[in-house]
Amino acid sequence: MKKIKKIFTLISIALLLFVSGCGWPGLGSTSKDTIKVASLSTTESMILAEIIMQLISHETDHNTEIVNNLGSGQLVHQALMNGDADIASANFTGNELITTLNHAPIKDEQKANRVVTKLYKKRFDQTWMPTYGFADTYNMLVTRETAKKYNLHKISDMKNIASRINIGADNIWINRPDDGYEPFAQTYDFKFKRVYPMQIGLVYSAVAAGKMSAVLGYSTDGRIKSYNLKILPDDKNFFPPYDTSMVVNNSLLRKYPELKPLLHRLDGKISVSTMQDMNYQVDNNLREPADVAKEFLNKHNYFRGDK
Amino acid sequence: MANQPLWNQLVFYFTHNGMYLLEQFGRHFLISFYGVLLAAIVGIPLGIYMANHFHLGDFIISIANVIQTVPSLAMLSIIMLWLGLGVNTVIVTIFLYSLLPILKNTYTGMKNVDPNTIDSAKGMGMTPFQMLYMVKLPLAMSVIMSGIRTAMVVAIGNTAIGAFVGAGGLGDLIIRGTNATDGAPLILAGALPTAIMAIVTDLVIGLLQKHFEPTGYYKTEE
Repeated sequence: MKKIKKIFTLISIALLLFVSGCGWPGLGSTSKDTIKVASLSTTESMILAEIIMQLISHETDHNTEIVNNLGSGQLVHQALMNGDADIASANFTGNELITTLNHAPIKDEQKANRVVTKLYKKRFDQTWMPTYGFADTYNMLVTRETAKKYNLHKISDMKNIASRINIGADNIWINRPDDGYEPFAQTYDFKFKRVYPMQIGLVYSAVAAGKMSAVLGYSTDGRIKSYNLKILPDDKNFFPPYDTSMVVNNSLLRKYPELKPLLHRLDGKISVSTMQDMNYQVDNNLREPADVAKEFLNKHNYFRGDK
Repeated sequence: MANQPLWNQLVFYFTHNGMYLLEQFGRHFLISFYGVLLAAIVGIPLGIYMANHFHLGDFIISIANVIQTVPSLAMLSIIMLWLGLGVNTVIVTIFLYSLLPILKNTYTGMKNVDPNTIDSAKGMGMTPFQMLYMVKLPLAMSVIMSGIRTAMVVAIGNTAIGAFVGAGGLGDLIIRGTNATDGAPLILAGALPTAIMAIVTDLVIGLLQKHFEPTGYYKTEE
């Protein structure tokens, strides 16, 4: 009988805990004070989310939690608007401008940043933070050997050989009206022999293995480093700027004013090569994003020196 | 790392991210556990009540049956509309899926208590509450436990899907693995512990169930 009484007490304790609303013990997420960081399902986004979370939990008393694996920028935006999350870890100017804000594309990096910052404040009451210091954009990638063989230093240099080579590109990119293949061909005034639509994840190994002469890949992908690929600079500024920033709900900043200087510590601190390296650590070396983020913050002593 | 055999990659992952994996393991278990616990808190009393009101029993069980037919991903999405992203959504989903096995087993367990035993309890002058917790519940406990066992195993599987709404747990690793170019070690690092957790939980609750089985009760019946 004692057994059953014990079970009853246990159950009533659990019920009390639930009703009193102090959250699920051990999960620590349901309490109202937890700062939630939304992340896309990409490696980069997760590493950035971990950096933000660890910075906050290390420097303040706030609890943090990641809302992980969100499929698209739209979903992340919804999460912030609904209050399911307070901070979005990785937002790209070029992307959000077209999708979330429904705005015409802007080629000028500075102007795009200004417009996005202004519109996010006005329409969503959210702060578009200054960029982390790297842009995630399409890059023309070739192997070192190809670059040497044809003497390639920038995209324009491909003009003479373009009609003889095949390239691989993201299948979404090819048909994009504003910054896809057609406008690309117009801007640079040459066409390739053939453009193969590919999964973005496969282009790096395709060019490294010599299946494609050149490919269009993301600038921060760790595999650029692991395959030692050469990035051909976009000398005609064709690809729109995809500066990466975090977005924060202003309601959170009003609630905890101390977060503002803390989050600003990350402004301009992550270069393209740093991001590439961190992506590489996760994608290639099977390390957890949390682990890589911690190493990054420790190395810089949580950026305590500034602000 | 990517050019090494899968097994080596997996071992490498386990040794380098052990703490993280353990954390996610605990989280995964707790999410499943809270869902089933809630279902037990609601389901067991409801099952007991239903056993005394037969006409109501069929009705409630058919509702629970309908809930069970909704695919888990759809259920998760529907609840997400109402509760938003995060762990609460998953716990409520688990709760709904666990309700049927727990309700059904409580109902069956209570109904299958030998009427003769109840009669003798009545003859001894027991109050209805005494009869419930001294006679009926101990006799039905093992059947109720087997319901919780089923619920728990199903819950651990469903929690893996919860990673889609950002709840974390081992499903997180599995999804990440499907997105990566060479994600096989990540998928396995998420899937294997999930399977092990389900098996071990099944065994442990199985032992508990045996423990609650009334000694000698079924033997004397023969």
